[in-house]
Amino acid sequence: MAMVLIALFVGLFAVRLFDLQVVQAQTLNAAAEDNRSVPLKILGMRGDIYDATGVVLAHSVLRYDITASPKAAVGPSATPEIAAAKLAETRADATRIAAITGQNPDDIVAALTDAVAADSAADYAYVVKQVDVETFEAIKALDIPWVYYEAHPARTYPDGAVAGNLVGYVGAANEAQAGVELSEDSCLAASDGTETYERSEDGVRIPGSTVETVAAVDGSDVVLTIDADLQWFVQQTLAKYAQEYGAGWGTVVVQEVRTGKLLAVADYPSVDPNNVDATAASDAGSRAFTAPFEPGSTFKTLTAASLIDSGQATPLSHVLAPYRITDDGVDINDSESHGTWRLTLTGVLKESSNTGMSRLGQLLSPQQRLDYMTAFHLGTTSEVGFPGEEPGYLGDNAPDWNAQTDYATTFGQGLTTTAIQTASIYQAIGNGGVRMPVSLVSGCRAADGTITDAPATAGSQVVSPQAARETVDMLENVATKGWLASRIAIPGYRIATKTGTAQHSDGNGDYADTFNVSLAGLAPAEDPQYVVSVSLGDPVRMNNSGATAPIFREVMAQVLKQFQVIPSGSSSPDIDTDW
Amino acid sequence: MSSSVAYSPVRRPLGAFGQTGPALGASASGPASASASVASGVAVDLPGLDTLLDPFVQPIRRISIVAARANRRARPKVFYAAVIVAGLGVVMLSQLMMSIALSDGAYTINRLMSDQKSQARSIQALTEELGTLSSPQNLAANAESLGMVQNTNPVWLRMSDGAVIGTPTAAAPGTGAIGAAGSQVPNELLTGIPLVTGQ
Repeated sequence: MAMVLIALFVGLFAVRLFDLQVVQAQTLNAAAEDNRSVPLKILGMRGDIYDATGVVLAHSVLRYDITASPKAAVGPSATPEIAAAKLAETRADATRIAAITGQNPDDIVAALTDAVAADSAADYAYVVKQVDVETFEAIKALDIPWVYYEAHPARTYPDGAVAGNLVGYVGAANEAQAGVELSEDSCLAASDGTETYERSEDGVRIPGSTVETVAAVDGSDVVLTIDADLQWFVQQTLAKYAQEYGAGWGTVVVQEVRTGKLLAVADYPSVDPNNVDATAASDAGSRAFTAPFEPGSTFKTLTAASLIDSGQATPLSHVLAPYRITDDGVDINDSESHGTWRLTLTGVLKESSNTGMSRLGQLLSPQQRLDYMTAFHLGTTSEVGFPGEEPGYLGDNAPDWNAQTDYATTFGQGLTTTAIQTASIYQAIGNGGVRMPVSLVSGCRAADGTITDAPATAGSQVVSPQAARETVDMLENVATKGWLASRIAIPGYRIATKTGTAQHSDGNGDYADTFNVSLAGLAPAEDPQYVVSVSLGDPVRMNNSGATAPIFREVMAQVLKQFQVIPSGSSSPDIDTDW
Repeated sequence: MSSSVAYSPVRRPLGAFGQTGPALGASASGPASASASVASGVAVDLPGLDTLLDPFVQPIRRISIVAARANRRARPKVFYAAVIVAGLGVVMLSQLMMSIALSDGAYTINRLMSDQKSQARSIQALTEELGTLSSPQNLAANAESLGMVQNTNPVWLRMSDGAVIGTPTAAAPGTGAIGAAGSQVPNELLTGIPLVTGQ
């Protein structure tokens, strides 16, 4: 009998043992593991954005959400007395937090009581989101038992609006929304990792228990061609004069002639990526890339270079330029009434005669002129690939323009270019006719210093070196003999410039009675190194290109100083402007 | 070969189980059982040699010296037990010590990790502050407030012949890059940071 009982018990135990050790083993192991181990998200940090000199323009930081356990703070209590005491204590704690964050303590308590009212076991509520390190440390030092913390990656822009329109910004969840942040997102983006570890009762990590399941990958850095100091100066100068002359918008592009690198691209109004909401949405991008407009007379440089390159004209070619031309289907005139001028091509540029340029422009076929425009990369977006970048527009049915457009396109009306494209035309002229790809980003720099995605460096010969040189010579005569000569002169340097005062569309297929004014130029003209191209939209207090003169002069002088360009030591050539 | 065969019956009292070949030249063609009997015969005949060769396997001694053996074996037993218990003790003690050292290390690691975190936070806060303070807007505004005005009318001195290029003009207060217009390049981060002259 005893033996039977023993056998029965042993059998029972054996069955239970088998059940625990074999049948339920996996579930129980997993449950035990869950009890001991803590999964942890390892944050990958988004790459930074640097200027060409190593200044950080966009920086990844951690921000902290302060959260609370409403249940622990104001949850159900055993007696009303305890509840009242607990509420009073929570209120005191909330007052201490509010003193740091500047919130209303009643709002903090209300958020907690509301959460408990909705669910008596509520264990999660926000006290305040995205506070910086200082605030976080101060709240942490209060050592309030119902307060918890979560770190989040966020973005800060130390230089504010300096290059803000170019750098762009990210959204609340650190997602790229505009500018280089968006166009270079694949370089900058990080991916989070996870690890698990076991911890003891008091939260201490048990040695050797850490398992990294997914490694976090930090993003790479983006290096721009922009010089932050110059960028600031250009933005400041542009904004100052744009306000003085009542312009609605303005852009200044500074480009290096030999490389095609953009050294500064200023937009007015500018956006501070730290506070995007303070700027109208229409001003948050970069107009220099995204807002093509009819360039007007700065475009005559391209027509002149095309004429010389094709052998159809020289700087001394003669033309009769009346005030007005009314050919079949054509009605164009110069900006100010005058008798018929006997101009050379140089004189056409100096006087900015629309009629003279139209007559000379007819020496080339529309197809030839379109080919030159295309060679100068007009009608297509630049190599930068800026978010929302526009290609510009070369007129209806190009090159089968109607008669009016056929004439108008010789002097920059009837087609549109971006400020970047205009600067690029002058870059090619200044670089012996070799157009370099426009670049804003020098590359994506990995943690080990290797650069990828470097921009293309192969230029293309658009016009002959001789044609380019003669065009610069003509533009020097514009700078020295034109009506703005005294206001743009920089002592010691030869400069080559061309102004533009362009009508712009009123949006209904007609021209508005306001103007976009511009000035583009090269210095030092004997060996051009820098392009500065200025545009102002509708400057109501000075409705001509004179508004752009002080901006051009101050920016160009700053460029020559900052990059230590040696003064010219020679004078500009003197080319006859009339006959 | 022949000598090894000769002693093997002695070292293996069970005889035949270990036997692999005929023993000592006697009736070489006999069966296994015959060899066993020959083997025991040899053991009895050569007690001295046997003792020399293998003192521990000694059927003759087991029979003869009872009391003496009991005494002799009691002492090693206590000794071994003591050694084992002491060994166990040492093992357990060192395990305890290691465990203490490990958890002490765990707390040290924990403390250092939280130190590292808080230092990283300090670095971040200071880097942010430095970045903001070194922003061009802030530097330019401070410089102008201290009376350093950038002259918009640059003049050059040519080293080769000492020529002055341009007309030197003093920069009047308020004509600098910021000047009367004020800073036009906003930076939200500079809110609440006073100029050095305003402190």
